[in-house]
Amino acid sequence: MSHLSQERARDRTDRLDLESIVQVICSALTSGATGYTFSTHPTNSQILDALGASGKVPSQFDLYPIVPYAEGYVRLANEKGMTGLMNAILSRLSLSDKAKLLLEGGFSALRLDPVGMLRTYLDAELKGYLSMKPRNSTLQSVLLHEVLTDLCLGFQETSLLDLFAQHVRENYHVRPGFVTYNFPRFIKLFEEAGLSLKDVVIMTPFNSLGYQMSPSRDSCEASLSSLREGHVIAMSIMAGGFIRLDQAVEYVRTLPKLSGVAVGASSREHARDTFAKLGMLL
Amino acid sequence: MGILHAGITNSISGANVTAICEKESFLTMAAKAFLPKRIAVYKDYQKMMTEEQLDAVFITTPIGTHASIVNDLLKSNTALSIFVEKPLASSYEEAKVACEAATRSRGVHMVGFQKRFSPVFQKAKQLIEQGIMGDPMFFRGYCYSSDVLREGSAWRFRKNTGGVLLDSAPHLLDLLIWFFGEPTRTMAIKKQVYSSEVEDYVHAVISYDSGLQGHVDACWSVSNFRLPEFLVEIYGRDGIITVTDDYMKFAPGRGSAKMGGAQTYHRQSFETSPPFLLADIDYTMEDVAFLNAVRTRTAPEPSFLQGAKVNALIDKILDSTEKG
Repeated sequence: MSHLSQERARDRTDRLDLESIVQVICSALTSGATGYTFSTHPTNSQILDALGASGKVPSQFDLYPIVPYAEGYVRLANEKGMTGLMNAILSRLSLSDKAKLLLEGGFSALRLDPVGMLRTYLDAELKGYLSMKPRNSTLQSVLLHEVLTDLCLGFQETSLLDLFAQHVRENYHVRPGFVTYNFPRFIKLFEEAGLSLKDVVIMTPFNSLGYQMSPSRDSCEASLSSLREGHVIAMSIMAGGFIRLDQAVEYVRTLPKLSGVAVGASSREHARDTFAKLGMLL
Repeated sequence: MGILHAGITNSISGANVTAICEKESFLTMAAKAFLPKRIAVYKDYQKMMTEEQLDAVFITTPIGTHASIVNDLLKSNTALSIFVEKPLASSYEEAKVACEAATRSRGVHMVGFQKRFSPVFQKAKQLIEQGIMGDPMFFRGYCYSSDVLREGSAWRFRKNTGGVLLDSAPHLLDLLIWFFGEPTRTMAIKKQVYSSEVEDYVHAVISYDSGLQGHVDACWSVSNFRLPEFLVEIYGRDGIITVTDDYMKFAPGRGSAKMGGAQTYHRQSFETSPPFLLADIDYTMEDVAFLNAVRTRTAPEPSFLQGAKVNALIDKILDSTEKG
């Protein structure tokens, strides 16, 4: 991956086959990474499968899937229209999932219950990944994609966020997580709605440039300092490859209350160097 | 796109989304379930106009419906401000209908070419205007994506309302018009790869009266482009400017007075934090600009007239491909 430019990201992707990706992840895990976060892009289920089959994963590690794979659904909606998208989602559900939906929502598609549908859909989306989970991995959290989290923040509406959190707690017995580019707004909305952040994972950008930190770096830092509960994972610490790792770490070390950092790597050597350095510096 | 603009707009201080209009039953149910209860949900925009007191509307419907909806909305409320997602219409004739309706209105009217709000493209525009690369001689540009790798069934694949020229190419063509003004001549070819009614690929040579020439490629069926990519490269007498969504590079020419090594400005180097970030900073800045124009009653850019120029160029390119 590279966020510095799409061209570079494409070039790197073209050079990486499944085996190379597995090697990058194994290299990261043997060099100090403790978990793996991924979107529910179809390739990631193959990666998890290959990771388990490789036998090279060193020890226990944690998984942090991010749902849904938003870009994929946008593409599908563009291709098939909204009705076509709904049909495509329904066609992916297993017979038992469909039966569950019909029981919850009635026999008419027009009477489908969006809440029941969302729960069933989340389970169906995750099933393909969790069934591929390597034996020595632990599901630590399921995170909601930033587009949905931030959309709810835009509307100042917690119903979907609360539903997601409850569903993850009840069905997977793990911490619900949210990716957001609007950290202060997220904390404020949860607190005002009286929703607990105690077991919540929040993955959000923190870097010395203030890149993707809305509304400002100062405001994000202030929200982090005053945070009473919750588990914050800093992402984009190198501002998409714009800041050097040692500079990024220097900044991250000044931040209180971080539970972890999420960092990308694009080759075995890169993963080894990055995570070894992070282990030493953090 | 509608829900994206609604989320951003609602987050901006002083703006409130009070109603949405959506025809798909499941989406209206989802909106009622997950959006704030104060937001009214309609299936018919005429009914919405009758029952709501609106200052502004965002139109994010299929392209072929834009002009008639603009016309209907402005008949209902002549003071209404309207934002139309790009392109303004599916043809220049339809764009003119929207422009004429807008001239009879007291509101402000804008087209959603959000690349103009990207700090990287803004930097390129600034350097072109400063003449940093000397007289521009020629350019090349592309917009590529992997959006269409099989025949689709949505309106984007229907003749007169779809095709890559109406889908992603308008951004590229608007950037050229923004940088250099309206071209006078085009020669183009098109190709259908997966779609049976519309073009999946277009190559166009574009010429200006000034002597500036260049070519653009638009294709939504290139494999390996997980996200759409845009590039414009301008070759001047004193150097080359390359601009994408991610960076802007200026490479001074050999022997040029501006020599001193290439300068690259990455997005990160001058991006400031937006008040709210949903998907991409460009969308927020675009919506902020529109809402400021609504508040101050000043003409926003890109206006409907500017949007119509893009439609005119699209028509010219299509016409050229049909003439061979």
